[in-house]
Amino acid sequence: MNYFPDEVIEHIFDFIASHKDRNSISLVSKSWHKIERCSRKRVFIGNCYAINPERLIERFPSLRSLTLKGKPHFADFNLVPHEWGGFVHPWIVALAKARVGLEELRLKRMVVSDESLELLSRSFSSFKSLVLVSCEGFTTDGLASVAANCRHLRELDLQENEIDDHRGQWLNCFPESSTALTSLNFSCLKGETNLAALERLVARSPNLESLKVNRAVPLDALTRLMSCAPQLVDLGVGSYENEPDQESFMKLMAAIKKCTELRSLSGFSEVAPLCLTAFYPICQNLTSLNLSYAAEIQGNHLIRFIQFCKRLQRLWILDSIGDKGLEVVASTCKELQELRVFPSDLHDEEDNDTAVTEIGLVAISAGCPKLHSILYFCKQMTNAALITVAKNCPNFIRFRLCILEPNKPDHTTSQSLDEGFGAIVQACKGLRRLSVSGLLTDKVFLYIGMYAEQLEMLSIAFAGDTDKGMLYVLNGCKKMRKLEIRDSPFGNAALLADVDKYRTMRSLWMSSCEVTLGGCKRLARNAPWLNVEIINENENNDVMERNEEDEREKVDRLYLYRTVVGARKDAPPCVTIL
Amino acid sequence: MEKDGLELEITELRLGLPGRDVTEKMMKKRGFTEMIMTSSGSNSEQCESGVVSSGVDVEKVNETPAVKTQVVGWPPVCSYRRKNSCKEVSTTKVGLGYVKVSMDGVPYLRKMDLGSSQGYDDLAFALDKLFGFHGIGVALKDGDNCEYVTIYEDKDGDWMLAGDVPWGMFIESCRRLRIMKRSEATGFGLQPRGLDE
Repeated sequence: MNYFPDEVIEHIFDFIASHKDRNSISLVSKSWHKIERCSRKRVFIGNCYAINPERLIERFPSLRSLTLKGKPHFADFNLVPHEWGGFVHPWIVALAKARVGLEELRLKRMVVSDESLELLSRSFSSFKSLVLVSCEGFTTDGLASVAANCRHLRELDLQENEIDDHRGQWLNCFPESSTALTSLNFSCLKGETNLAALERLVARSPNLESLKVNRAVPLDALTRLMSCAPQLVDLGVGSYENEPDQESFMKLMAAIKKCTELRSLSGFSEVAPLCLTAFYPICQNLTSLNLSYAAEIQGNHLIRFIQFCKRLQRLWILDSIGDKGLEVVASTCKELQELRVFPSDLHDEEDNDTAVTEIGLVAISAGCPKLHSILYFCKQMTNAALITVAKNCPNFIRFRLCILEPNKPDHTTSQSLDEGFGAIVQACKGLRRLSVSGLLTDKVFLYIGMYAEQLEMLSIAFAGDTDKGMLYVLNGCKKMRKLEIRDSPFGNAALLADVDKYRTMRSLWMSSCEVTLGGCKRLARNAPWLNVEIINENENNDVMERNEEDEREKVDRLYLYRTVVGARKDAPPCVTIL
Repeated sequence: MEKDGLELEITELRLGLPGRDVTEKMMKKRGFTEMIMTSSGSNSEQCESGVVSSGVDVEKVNETPAVKTQVVGWPPVCSYRRKNSCKEVSTTKVGLGYVKVSMDGVPYLRKMDLGSSQGYDDLAFALDKLFGFHGIGVALKDGDNCEYVTIYEDKDGDWMLAGDVPWGMFIESCRRLRIMKRSEATGFGLQPRGLDE
């Protein structure tokens, strides 16, 4: 390869897109490192505090697309204080200052301000794509600046963000000349939407393939939108709690029939059963269906709908579908690859006979040979069922099982679920992500350490007996990147056994475990390349200071991650970086 | 947990619902002991004996469901989803003002219409009537001296002490109410009052 001029090598590298592969290329030689870094367009940063923007820009001057992740995963479950960090502003400031030709920004669990969005919109003339997932800190004013100033905007995708809706005219801010939109998702906005502005925008966007509206878009508006965008591939609808009248229904159905390219359907925060039937004509084309926000709809309506969806590859649904419903899915959706079953009753008060059990899971595993990803919330499980699932589906890449009651044993034998999960990790040789639940001893971790060779992410809650459990995992899972543990009896011995292990991992989270302040301090001393963060919310700082001497004080929440830029400067008072 | 210990627990006779043993193992873990700490102490053995000897069946009947619902961040459903798909949070129901009310020691839930109360005094009276118990009203007015505290779950899923915020703000954000024994409230993890911390 050294006989080729650099431009040729660069051209060859252009064909290599995966981050992992490009990272490997850059390690081959100095010249390859240079060619690779100068030509790299897309960079993925899994932890925004592992590196800083200045070093990023220095290494990759041709950067076009940046993906950043901020808060740790357990922030989704309110375990991380709001003010913890993950601010995107310094990144945008640095990128703007260095005149990087940024075209795409994808953020997850970061804090974004209107100021950041305004700066973004003014600094990058070729900016095309903004994807924000589970972010917070901004309002529709920030969206207005993006709409108004990003002349070449193609994609604005807002997923599950906390956005302050000022009910302004942000949709009106897209200039009349803006016709390049391919994807618009504002489903998480809570306020009213300027329907006229939306309809005009959609009408002048012939390339629009993905449209996800918020709940405030009523049925007649949806009908008009679909009528002027029959090319849609991906549609997210609003909230329709009232049955439509005959005329509205017919119009809706007619509009839907024209959307022959439609493959993905979502939204439905409420949907009257009749409304749902209007979509029957396109069910057979659907590859992706998300009905998991439709809390009021009953299982039988869901079942009837799904019976038409023979080509489904991805299904997100509520457990109100029941085991019977999952049996229907198993016999209908032979192409199913990913299934998520969410709990409809979070407070566990209703005597819910229709929720799902191990029966539904086994049925799915038997009926859907292509299944590789599952997230399953259920009330009960058995080892026998898990063993059967493992036999039926050895191709799992992601297996997340959440039994709602912590520490619940196999309900037929009262034993732990060690053997069941053991069967899963043994059979699924390609397993990359695993979440365990129910009654579990150290043994399950022995199995995980022994068999889960490709495991990259493991979530543990209310499990294990001794430090041995955590040690089995740390010693055995060579590819572990993210380990998150809560309410489990793992302590300093496990934490400190192999400090170098954390060089190979992105991060470790431990909350309500047995690690002490002393243990964490020792770790921080032995591993200066780690940020060891202690989070202590709901306690005033006096307690922190008072207990500084008390090394035996248990740490409420510990989050550690490797970094090349040392302790961050933006930590709030409730976070101590050791 | 050693095998011997487990077997011993299985053979011990005790009152309570099936699944009780599970609940007690839960209480050994730190998170739970903090959550339902009795005033007599916080280590796991005391907690266990505290439950067994507490005597009243009715109390225990209520305790099992209560423990399940109060763990922070469990079940692991992301907060966006909780806020947007929980049955109680649909726009129609919030408009009606009906919230579920539970009281420690009472094995069934009640529903009441917050919209029909004019203020905290009204609410206190309504709660008293709902459960046929005179102490609740006192709890709201004179928080520190009463056997019970009234707490509510707000839109964000946080548990707050009732009576701190203006009434209008309260009925807008209150999703459910719980009348809790003061002794159980210590260490429960209530959000701090106001914005001072």
